[in-house]
Amino acid sequence: MTDVTFSERHESSIREYRRMAATFRRSSSAMFGLVIVLVFLLMALIGPWIAPFPEDALGAVHLDNKLQPPSAAHWFGTDEVGLDIFSRVLIGARVSLQIGLIVTGVAMLIGVPLGMLAGMSGGWMRETIMRVTDIFLSIPGLILAIAIVGALGPGIINAMIALSLVWWPGYVRLVEAKTLSLRNETYVDAARALGAPMHRILFVHILPNCLSPIVVKASMDMGMAILGAASLGFLGLGAQPPYPEWGAMISIGRNYMPDWWWYSFFPGLAIYLTVLGFNLLGDGLRDVLDPRQRS
Amino acid sequence: MRIDWNWLRSAVLGVVLAVTAIAGAGAVEKLDGKLYLVIAGRQPVSTLDPAQKYDYAIRMMEQALYDGLVKYEGNPPEVKPWLAESWEVSDDGLVWTFHLVDNAKFHNGDPVNAEAVRYSFVRTLELNKGPAWMLQDFLAPEGIEAVDDRTVRFTLKKPYAPFLSFLPWWFIVNPAIVEANSVDGDRAQTWLNENAAGSGPFKLAKFEQGKAYWLEVNKDYWKGFPYEADNFGGIIYKLVRESAGQRAALIKGEADIVGGLTPEEMEKIAEREGIHTTTLPALTAFGLKFNTQNEHMSDINVRKAIAHAFDYDGLVKIFNGEAKLQTSPFGDAIKGKIDVAGIPRRDLQMAKDYLAKSAWPDGGFDVEYVYVQGFEEERQMGLLLIDALKDLNIDVKMTPLTWPNMVGRAAEVDTAPDIIAIFATPVSTDPDAVAIQYHPTSFGKYYGSHFLEDEELKGMIEKARNETDWSKRQPIYAEIQERIVELQPEIFGMMRNRRFAFRDWVKGFQDSPIRMTEEIDLYPLHIAK
Amino acid sequence: MLKLIYRRLLMMVVMLLGLLAIMFVVANVAPGDPARLAAGPDATRDMVETIRVERGLDKPLPQRFVIYLGSVVTGDLGTSIHTGRAVLHDLAIYFPATLELVLFSIGLAIVLGIPLGVIAAVNHNQLADHIIRIFAVSGVAMPMFWLGLMLQWYLALELNWFPLGGQLDLMSDPPTRITGMLTVDALLTGNFAIFLGAVAHLFLPALSLSFPALASIIRVNRAEMLETLNRDYITNARAQGIGPLRIVAAYALKNALLPTLAMIGLRFGWMLGGTVLVEGVFDWPGVGLYAAKAAISSDFEPIMAVTLVLGASFMLANLLIDLTYAALDPRVRAQV
Repeated sequence: MTDVTFSERHESSIREYRRMAATFRRSSSAMFGLVIVLVFLLMALIGPWIAPFPEDALGAVHLDNKLQPPSAAHWFGTDEVGLDIFSRVLIGARVSLQIGLIVTGVAMLIGVPLGMLAGMSGGWMRETIMRVTDIFLSIPGLILAIAIVGALGPGIINAMIALSLVWWPGYVRLVEAKTLSLRNETYVDAARALGAPMHRILFVHILPNCLSPIVVKASMDMGMAILGAASLGFLGLGAQPPYPEWGAMISIGRNYMPDWWWYSFFPGLAIYLTVLGFNLLGDGLRDVLDPRQRS
Repeated sequence: MRIDWNWLRSAVLGVVLAVTAIAGAGAVEKLDGKLYLVIAGRQPVSTLDPAQKYDYAIRMMEQALYDGLVKYEGNPPEVKPWLAESWEVSDDGLVWTFHLVDNAKFHNGDPVNAEAVRYSFVRTLELNKGPAWMLQDFLAPEGIEAVDDRTVRFTLKKPYAPFLSFLPWWFIVNPAIVEANSVDGDRAQTWLNENAAGSGPFKLAKFEQGKAYWLEVNKDYWKGFPYEADNFGGIIYKLVRESAGQRAALIKGEADIVGGLTPEEMEKIAEREGIHTTTLPALTAFGLKFNTQNEHMSDINVRKAIAHAFDYDGLVKIFNGEAKLQTSPFGDAIKGKIDVAGIPRRDLQMAKDYLAKSAWPDGGFDVEYVYVQGFEEERQMGLLLIDALKDLNIDVKMTPLTWPNMVGRAAEVDTAPDIIAIFATPVSTDPDAVAIQYHPTSFGKYYGSHFLEDEELKGMIEKARNETDWSKRQPIYAEIQERIVELQPEIFGMMRNRRFAFRDWVKGFQDSPIRMTEEIDLYPLHIAK
Repeated sequence: MLKLIYRRLLMMVVMLLGLLAIMFVVANVAPGDPARLAAGPDATRDMVETIRVERGLDKPLPQRFVIYLGSVVTGDLGTSIHTGRAVLHDLAIYFPATLELVLFSIGLAIVLGIPLGVIAAVNHNQLADHIIRIFAVSGVAMPMFWLGLMLQWYLALELNWFPLGGQLDLMSDPPTRITGMLTVDALLTGNFAIFLGAVAHLFLPALSLSFPALASIIRVNRAEMLETLNRDYITNARAQGIGPLRIVAAYALKNALLPTLAMIGLRFGWMLGGTVLVEGVFDWPGVGLYAAKAAISSDFEPIMAVTLVLGASFMLANLLIDLTYAALDPRVRAQV
């Protein structure tokens, strides 16, 4: 019995993963998305070390060098106080990653347990959770986020709070539906009949089976959360200067359009590519993990 | 299989062409054959009532719709006779008598008489808003008297030398119209927000709040106009939200005059054909005010350290050289201004020495810098501050606020930020107009967020404002300036030049340093084409 | 059917109440003094206190909420600090402009999206298809405000094809206000020049706003068309020498109608949210711009009102789309 090797024991799973990887690889757009996301993650990880002027990310001033067009020294040009836009965009990736992870993470932490709870418990508990969820989903997310920031006051922290607050209901809906479809599966019934405690059923039987759609949604949401934060930044409600947040950079850079176009052009391009990357990746993952969900 | 989709292409092209054919105008705006001048500005006109509030947009409109007894014009600014053709003051400085012109008429034809003047002053004093603060310590409603139809007499509670220099901001309303539109005894405050009851060179044609304000030339203006242009119809003050939008509108010909462009924009736009730019030193002083009652800022050594660490050259560079550093708390055009010796300039060693004497010898704390949301130069100053204070190990947190919110923060000593960026345009060239900003009566006003308590300074300011003899006032004001610098309630900044860009068909543009930031005197403006 | 509509409308009221309650709680934990804000820059402490009492800002939260609901029911949405006018009055001016912009965007997305989807499908795997597909995946990822800025710079300022922003040329007299939507009012009053002017002003903001919906519509139509083109009856029709245009018109477009509608439903919320971003770029005097200004000045009453109005229109639009869907598709109708 102990002679069985790892690859033999997990043969079926490995085969399954291979099949998935092959499906993913065949899709050029998914691969493209993956590449973008990897580049983005790399930028976020080592950005401060490869940026030519890392000190420019957090409020230096070189007024003699202001508003220089793109050149060999400054690939993306310089801004109104002479900061290197390339360095700021590069280090801005880290800011965006943080925002994306925190917003998506908090949304999942709130949404997934609530969704499972609603799906399993039924009754007034389910009603309450789902009705509150409906309320949050009854208005476009960006509007609600803006309203919340408007009430809390501008700032990167408040922007993240607002985005997290409008993001979790999506997970409740998703997980609740999935849980409902799972709760009557035989193995869940069996576990319940054997007297397994609720938390065990939830975390051992339900959660692993919800993971695929959650991963797909999370991948999409990373991009959307980054876009949302950039939108708030653009309105002046998110990150404040000199924080190198892309949306906030465009918000200031628009004052310098069109003569100094590079100021708002490059941060915008960075947002676009990053969001595109996460979307394509999410699309690809859905094809692999959750083919039936494809619309 | 291929589809011939040329039809689609031509259809789309057709729509685009049809749409663009009418979009590409771009010359002087015309209405009924008359030329209209368009000013694109960022600040909405929140009211037209001369007694409620004032800022540059409000004052620009009021100066066009109403008349005062006197008016500021020129550089250096001078008080010129307007509704009052002459005046005299008693020897004790208490009684001021004004003689009105005989032909002034309100827009509805009523004569502008002494009673109208009395009524307007009483209204402003009793509403106790807007410009009321300028005179309320010296003038009571009972002290104003319409002696006859064309003579008004003001009897002050105590002598006040700069009395006359404030009068240009007290506009005369038509009592009949105000009374007719008064609701629940509000003295027409609501009605006058969007309507006018004046005698000025322009009539209000249309008031589209948040969009545009239309002024029509008052053909029967009692004083006439300094130009001849029969085809000139009026002026439209149109709101454009950002300086980039103002610039684009000027380039496209959708606007004829814009003010408040950033220095970079001014340089770029000056290169374009058909566009002129002007700059003029302003009375407006810029300072970074400390809240001297705050945890860190109450320590004079911290204030001195920050003031010596600040990058003053950078401040001028932000304005591409179109600014001049202050050498005194008083601006250059203020009467009695001296160069104060030892006014801080960047000297890192001195800054560190001061900090060493403070309770935080190694820094290690945060200060908050509050500025107007969307105000480019102020934001850049914040970046300058961050950079400069790094050397002292002090972190700066930047908080952009809208103007009303910022004023709200400045109002209470508990909420007033450590550092706040303030442009203050004195309403008079008399030194009292600046000195009073450092007196406790100014506490809680946006320029008084320093909450500076100093008995010696307070005494000097009061003594100087109650004195009428200039030869006695002058030395006190010299001392006041030195004392203020010594107390360091702010980083004394600079006076930036006033900047306007306009199309070359705009004529008659006359600037004066007394005007607030983007305020323009509309009276002499017209179009010649 | 009618019963369903009643139930949905009732549900809507409950949801809006919930929404207001949530906003009220959020706003209450926020720092800042609304009374001080409302009183304005030069107000003394006494004036601030007067306003606090006048507006009931000194009362406990639940009581204030009840008072607020009471005034909302009577149509009093409070006063905006940054415009100084009644919020209801502001909304009456701004809302039609936003509605016009959103409707025009939807129209644009359909008018451009369906042909582009068809073209992509017909030229399957050729250059046109690839370009259109890249365009389609970009739609959702593109920051609308950035796209708007770029379009404005190039098409309005450089090429001078379109106006920079606003709703109408300054000197054009707006038509008599009937619906508040300039294009509609211009047509109703028979003023064609004003109509064209209004459309010229609408075009760029609407295009920026329509991008996500446009992208989805292209994708759906392309997929639908590809599927249809491969069906037997199309092959037959083609063999019989029926022209490609007629095939597209007769078969494919009919099939694409429902999914297109579904996509609009899906993206409608995005477009509504996007107005906050796009209106600012193009100085479009709508609710979005109003909301953004209110948010930045922490102007509480307009924020609440905008949440209420946009929430309600979002729900109504969804209801409308569901009903249309039911009317068009017998299978759905059976379920209703």
